[in-house]
Amino acid sequence: MALLDKEVSKQVKNMLGDMERTVKVLFFKSDDESKCEYCSTIEQLLAELSELNDKISVGIIDVDGEEQEMEEYGIEMIPALVLLTEDGKDLGVRFYGIPAGHEFSTFLQDILVFSKGAIPQLSEESLKKLQGVEKPVNIKVFVTVTCPYCPRAVFTAHQLAMANDRITASMVEANEFMELSAKFGVSSVPHVVINDEHFFVGAYPEKDFVEEVLKVAKG
Amino acid sequence: MKERMFFDVGIGKSEIKESYDVVIVGGGPAGLTAAIYTRQSGLSALVVEKNLEGGYMNLTELVENYPGFTSIRGEELGSKMVEHALHFGAELVTDNVEKIQVEGKDKLVHLSSGKTARARVVIVATGSTPRKLGVPGEEQFRARGVSYCATCDGHFFKDGHVIVVGGGNSAFDESLFLAKMVRKITMVHILEKPTADARLREKVFANEKIEYRPLTELVRIEGNEKVERVVLKDLKKNREYTMDVDGVFIFVGMNPNSELLKDLADLDEWGYVITDENMETKTPGIFAVGDVRSKGLRQIITAAADGAIAASIAARKYFET
Repeated sequence: MALLDKEVSKQVKNMLGDMERTVKVLFFKSDDESKCEYCSTIEQLLAELSELNDKISVGIIDVDGEEQEMEEYGIEMIPALVLLTEDGKDLGVRFYGIPAGHEFSTFLQDILVFSKGAIPQLSEESLKKLQGVEKPVNIKVFVTVTCPYCPRAVFTAHQLAMANDRITASMVEANEFMELSAKFGVSSVPHVVINDEHFFVGAYPEKDFVEEVLKVAKG
Repeated sequence: MKERMFFDVGIGKSEIKESYDVVIVGGGPAGLTAAIYTRQSGLSALVVEKNLEGGYMNLTELVENYPGFTSIRGEELGSKMVEHALHFGAELVTDNVEKIQVEGKDKLVHLSSGKTARARVVIVATGSTPRKLGVPGEEQFRARGVSYCATCDGHFFKDGHVIVVGGGNSAFDESLFLAKMVRKITMVHILEKPTADARLREKVFANEKIEYRPLTELVRIEGNEKVERVVLKDLKKNREYTMDVDGVFIFVGMNPNSELLKDLADLDEWGYVITDENMETKTPGIFAVGDVRSKGLRQIITAAADGAIAASIAARKYFET
């Protein structure tokens, strides 16, 4: 049975009609269900998406045996999705866990932004501030797929990653990574962790989100 | 998550034009209905939503009082309204409105992204946000076991014991949602009788996982790293006692998001926006609709009705020559 029903497929197709360039989606998976409950579902979702628009190109990496590629992209857990530009550039945009529910909208929005040249949708002021970030920044946005406030936080984090090569930003679907969520004391989402040391909770406006990143980047 | 896999397409738009006939701030039922009616009057409409189109409906487990739908998930009704507005050609953008500026007959709507939209009419449908309870421990344990959104955070309390504070529709609706995943819910309410609708009350009282304690006040929240227990007060016996819990969910009413209009409209003593019967504020061409407006009943249907009135009157008053 299709994951995306007729109506949703129609909407997705219509929306992705705006795509200009090809976007590559790398999917790190395992066929072992005990390691990855949702891998087969994600694989199906990606297949259905690429069916709807041929500008979405999917690369599947079975991590059992492809440790090298995991390392290359700094992937530590699965399921993981990495977006790449047409010419294969990694801008640090990642999804750990299934981009379903409300996070499906973030996934689609990211694909659209990538297809239009991955120009971060941020104000000039934010872009200028982010240029100044010199040390590596890793942003984890913990979400649940039923949280309506979360897509905004993930989307903003991903824009930050696009704005500076030193910034990596990941969505982490808390239900699939319960241990990691517990380690960071996640009990309310969106829960944003920067460089594993600083966190804030809530869908902060872009300006404040940038300030939180700068706090860590400068400290 | 397994019980219902859904895929929210969103709107995926971030580009806007420089000017519109009507700019609507907020994409809940009031804002979306205003957009539908604006488009049906042949005018251009931009809806600016900062989080998720559908607004607070996304957090409502089941809606059972919107005519035409015996029972529908809030999020589904929300996406139907979004589709409806898009179908008639409204534009939706994800952004935050920082300021509304009056310039002659026009209004300039300044967005966080740095963009500005010009419009003759602005309809403010910014809704409200959950109110804090104001007890010791609430701030300290926010995001460490204290939550205001069951839909978002319920998953973190799987098989746990949570306390729900409040006796209104939100508290009852969200408790029913939580009951699907937690082991036990204790509901406390400072009044004897809940203010929730009879239908919701019946469902809650029939649910084995939920225990309702009237005339009980939450006094403080305690723990180390995260919430471990609460101190409750039996108001009848005037006696305090503690209870071990894993989480605290607070639904004690809402505060209006009326900040944008504080200099442009009159607010009532609670901060809700005062309008005339056509939803217009004291600033000509600026309307307020839905939960942010001072009125007697805040429901999806009254929000939608506000939106319809504002958009139709605005079209007649400002665009018909």
